[in-house]
Amino acid sequence: MSVSPDIKIAVKNFKVFQGKEEALRGITLDIPANRIIGIIGPSGSGKTTFLRALNRLNDLVSGMHVEGQVLLDGQDIYHPGFDVVALRKRVGMLFALPVALPMSVYENVVYGPRLSGIRKRARLDEIVERSLKAAFLWDEVKDRLQASGLRLSGGQQQRLCLARVLAMEEMEVILLDEPCSGLDPISTAKIEDALTVLKEKYTIILVTNNTKQAARVADDTAFFLLGELVEFGPTKKIFTVPDDKRTNEYVTGRFG
Amino acid sequence: MRVPPKVTQALAVMTLGAATLLTVVVLVFIIAFVLVKGLPGVTWEFLFSAPKDMGKAGGIFPTLVGTALLPLLAISIAMPLGVGTAVYLTEYTRENQLTRALRFGTDCLAGIPSIIFGLFGFIFFVVMLKMGWCLLSGALTLAIMVLPTIIRTSEEAIRSVPNAYREVSFSLGATRWETVLKVVLPNALPGIVTGMILGIGRSIGETAAVIFTAGSSLRMPMTVFDSVRTMSVHFYILAREGISNENAYATAAVLIISVLLINMVAYSMMHRFIAKRSK
Repeated sequence: MSVSPDIKIAVKNFKVFQGKEEALRGITLDIPANRIIGIIGPSGSGKTTFLRALNRLNDLVSGMHVEGQVLLDGQDIYHPGFDVVALRKRVGMLFALPVALPMSVYENVVYGPRLSGIRKRARLDEIVERSLKAAFLWDEVKDRLQASGLRLSGGQQQRLCLARVLAMEEMEVILLDEPCSGLDPISTAKIEDALTVLKEKYTIILVTNNTKQAARVADDTAFFLLGELVEFGPTKKIFTVPDDKRTNEYVTGRFG
Repeated sequence: MRVPPKVTQALAVMTLGAATLLTVVVLVFIIAFVLVKGLPGVTWEFLFSAPKDMGKAGGIFPTLVGTALLPLLAISIAMPLGVGTAVYLTEYTRENQLTRALRFGTDCLAGIPSIIFGLFGFIFFVVMLKMGWCLLSGALTLAIMVLPTIIRTSEEAIRSVPNAYREVSFSLGATRWETVLKVVLPNALPGIVTGMILGIGRSIGETAAVIFTAGSSLRMPMTVFDSVRTMSVHFYILAREGISNENAYATAAVLIISVLLINMVAYSMMHRFIAKRSK
């Protein structure tokens, strides 16, 4: 489609070791800005490890270390001088299971902005409304912003989590780790609709076990297998005429 | 021959029920015994007047004050230290030789008889540091004594906070400290408060460690460097020296009621807090 789009994240021969085991075996991948990148592959292929490496959440896992580079706008996020807290304000994450923090809907949304030092009530109100609207949740919760986030349904909680990520003004990249695995088709459709709008502003990386979901929403798709990147290209190509035989077998459902 | 499941079921219910019943009966009996013997002696005058004649006559007001101040001071010393240690052990270190040694140490401390703490407090605070028998010596000794309980209960409470909460907090750009303050501690609070109540209960009822360190003066304490007598020490002395059995029971009744009240207030505050968060 487009001729050489802007590269948001450049991954260069990136490896992740869990103890002695090599969980990711030298991934090289250029992620263009303002697109939805689908990552597919059978479980154990390193999709989630890769995703969590992009905002350094893997740092919290003991015995994990990395080699190679991940460049965000040309800067290596694994460089010792790189500010991890600032990184996570630019690269947000949506987890497989919706995790609403045990506080009100309102407080959930402003969690990030408050950490960034925003105190003014009017400003926070505005952030809450904007984020919840962008996550297609505003109409359902606008009358109960002070109710606990735990009282929402699973699908609503996942959109609340999305709103929480969108609330951060520094946000540039959204990572989603099988965000719809626990959701019904209608909630899934709402998340997917939101993503399609959001890519105008953000770069979106979507790990999914549901190949159909990747086919539906992703502009480009990467196929991971056993810690390796097998193939990366426009979604249409990956799903119709992939270069690699294994990709073809996976997307046509012959294994995985 | 196989015992039919109906019979084993009935046997199990009976045995477990009997065990529960026995426990409750013994407990209720002890409390009732003390209250029946002691309550007739508990009057406003008894509560709020000074003891006369070594406690044979008069009231227990100074010991009431001592019983309030000593655990309060001990807990305010032990809570920051204990919760801080628990946060450090769970959030700031990974499981290693040092944390295992620390945990083993606290477990050992928890099992030491209180008289040993009393002896240590006497030698270290009272004699070596020349603090003398006083509120502060007693509070410091009690603080050391309840520290292991507070550390372990807080640690358990902090561990039970789902890891997903931490990951969400970190992924939203929180530092470790912000995560501890905004997510971990609020969610661990009920468990931490339980540890605090246990600590208060243990220090209110403590006699051996207190008598060696806070002394047994019947005068009203004016500063932390004054000696105090707590209610438990008071009725120990009254009973041990045969001064007055009536006043000993009355003091014991007051003590039991105060502990009950403290627990009830603490738990209701906790429930209100939890209810507020999940509304």
